[in-house]
Amino acid sequence: MSTERFAREAGKYAAIAWLGARRALSERAAVAGRALFLAVILFIFGRVWATVLGPGGRVGAAGRDELIFYLAVTEWCLLSVPPLYLSIEGDVRSGDVASQMVRPVSYVGAQLADALGETALRMCVLGPTAALVAWWIAGGWPADPRGLWLALPLGLLASTLAVLSTAAIGVSAFWIVDTSPIYWIWQKLAFVLGGLMLPLELYPDWLRAAARFSPFPAMLWGPGRMAFGFAPGAALETLAELVVWGTLAALLLVWLARRARTRIALAGG
Amino acid sequence: MSSAIALHNVRKTFRVPEREPGLRGSLRGLIRKRAREIVAVDDLSFAIAPGERVAFLGPNGAGKSTTLKILSGILQPSAGQVRVLGLEPGRERRRLAYRIGVVFGQRSQLWSHLPAADTFDLLARIYELEPAEYRQRRDELVASFAIADVVEKPVRQLSLGERMRCELVASLLHRPEILFLDEPTIGLDVVAKATIRDLLRERGRRDGCTILLTSHDTGDMAGVCERVLVIHHGRLLLDRSLDGLRKGFIARKRISVVTEEAELTLDLPGVRRLPSASHRSDFELDLGVVGVDRVVAAIVAGARVLDLSVEDPPMEEVVSAIYASALSAGPRP
Repeated sequence: MSTERFAREAGKYAAIAWLGARRALSERAAVAGRALFLAVILFIFGRVWATVLGPGGRVGAAGRDELIFYLAVTEWCLLSVPPLYLSIEGDVRSGDVASQMVRPVSYVGAQLADALGETALRMCVLGPTAALVAWWIAGGWPADPRGLWLALPLGLLASTLAVLSTAAIGVSAFWIVDTSPIYWIWQKLAFVLGGLMLPLELYPDWLRAAARFSPFPAMLWGPGRMAFGFAPGAALETLAELVVWGTLAALLLVWLARRARTRIALAGG
Repeated sequence: MSSAIALHNVRKTFRVPEREPGLRGSLRGLIRKRAREIVAVDDLSFAIAPGERVAFLGPNGAGKSTTLKILSGILQPSAGQVRVLGLEPGRERRRLAYRIGVVFGQRSQLWSHLPAADTFDLLARIYELEPAEYRQRRDELVASFAIADVVEKPVRQLSLGERMRCELVASLLHRPEILFLDEPTIGLDVVAKATIRDLLRERGRRDGCTILLTSHDTGDMAGVCERVLVIHHGRLLLDRSLDGLRKGFIARKRISVVTEEAELTLDLPGVRRLPSASHRSDFELDLGVVGVDRVVAAIVAGARVLDLSVEDPPMEEVVSAIYASALSAGPRP
């Protein structure tokens, strides 16, 4: 593919992503609801940590304030991801998938671009919300707030990995129709193995070791632990893991999308 | 002249899973899955010349939408050859996509939360239109389809008729050489249907665009098309011009006559009097029994005629007659 051709193709998906962001912006109630949910979660866990740890209490390297910011980052990464699997499943159930395949773009690629646009918009809204609410509950920034800057690009990549994963779950609808059970398993594994609420440092050794074989720590714990301090080495490690897992997820998605395309061509939408 | 669309002995089958009734059947189905083969399109052949406007009619399950999906490259035929604008749709779907437009009446290609204008802008990027050319085309279509006052409203706030006009504009932006329309007037009221038909006919003439239209509504056929393909059980039942269809399948005609006399009585075999008013009489003629000339002669001989008209029956009756003749031929083996 020539550079010009590639640029034109990339431009199509960028335009779809832009429209996805605009669509998400028009759904203000949904975005506001997520922001409110994030604030409530942070408030509740802020109180829980205050009660459990007491004044000046610490768990490993993290105090109450760091744990609140850890949760703010992990929830930011996860809540920014739209339910793409439901969107694809809906198209498969209704037959809309066939009508969307008459355009000169990939159906899955267009869905992915649309969801990434929505994710970007949500990250822009939920990021400041998470930071401000965490700052208010903790009564200030973490001891070394420079790590939070590193959490920004890592969170962006982490959410991209999550979107790729939910896209793959959605494409499985071409075979199993109801994708919710797979999504629930993925989501619960992300909560537990990714360390959504508790950093992996608090896990037993065997569970932490097992979790590191999955993509979930890179997706949540990796960006979240940036709240504990400025750690460029750890950030690079998470970055590398996100790139590897992201590539694998993208390859899986491409493979599934091709098989789904063949399935539609032979068996109908 | 080469055909815009050519199908040769096309067949499409689907394997549909079958479930046995009852708990035992469900458990058995977990171990041994059963499926039966459905023939959606069977040995279908036809060709459409560039610029033709063709109606593709058939009852539910006849294979119309499946054929349309094969022609637009969504489905791969199980057997046979398909050429659309010289391309093989199943293998060259994306190349073909730049040259065709598709409208599914029951599906929307517009982003419902955003104005249709935003979707048009996106489609311009997707179809790689030059900005100046796109703006000119969009403005021309927006004026032609009279959607200037709705194009900036979120699509979900539009009426069905307004939305369908926006759908048609979206499908025509990239100047498609062929327009596939799957029930474009479904759910619309009488006025909106008439508007859509006029716009389609006019646009087909102006752009020289080939139109293949599926519909249950024979008004779409009469209002837009010049040729009719009728499909039943996946097989082509009839391929005729609209005039040919009227002539070949019209077994009855209606005569309305206004006379100076309050009532007119005709005592001819094959003539049935329809509910009529004073000074006006309506008759239905069975053309297999009596000719129009004989009936008109009898009317003129029996009364002083002020006005007289001879009409074909509605298109619905014509198509019903075609389906009935197909059904009487028996189910497909």
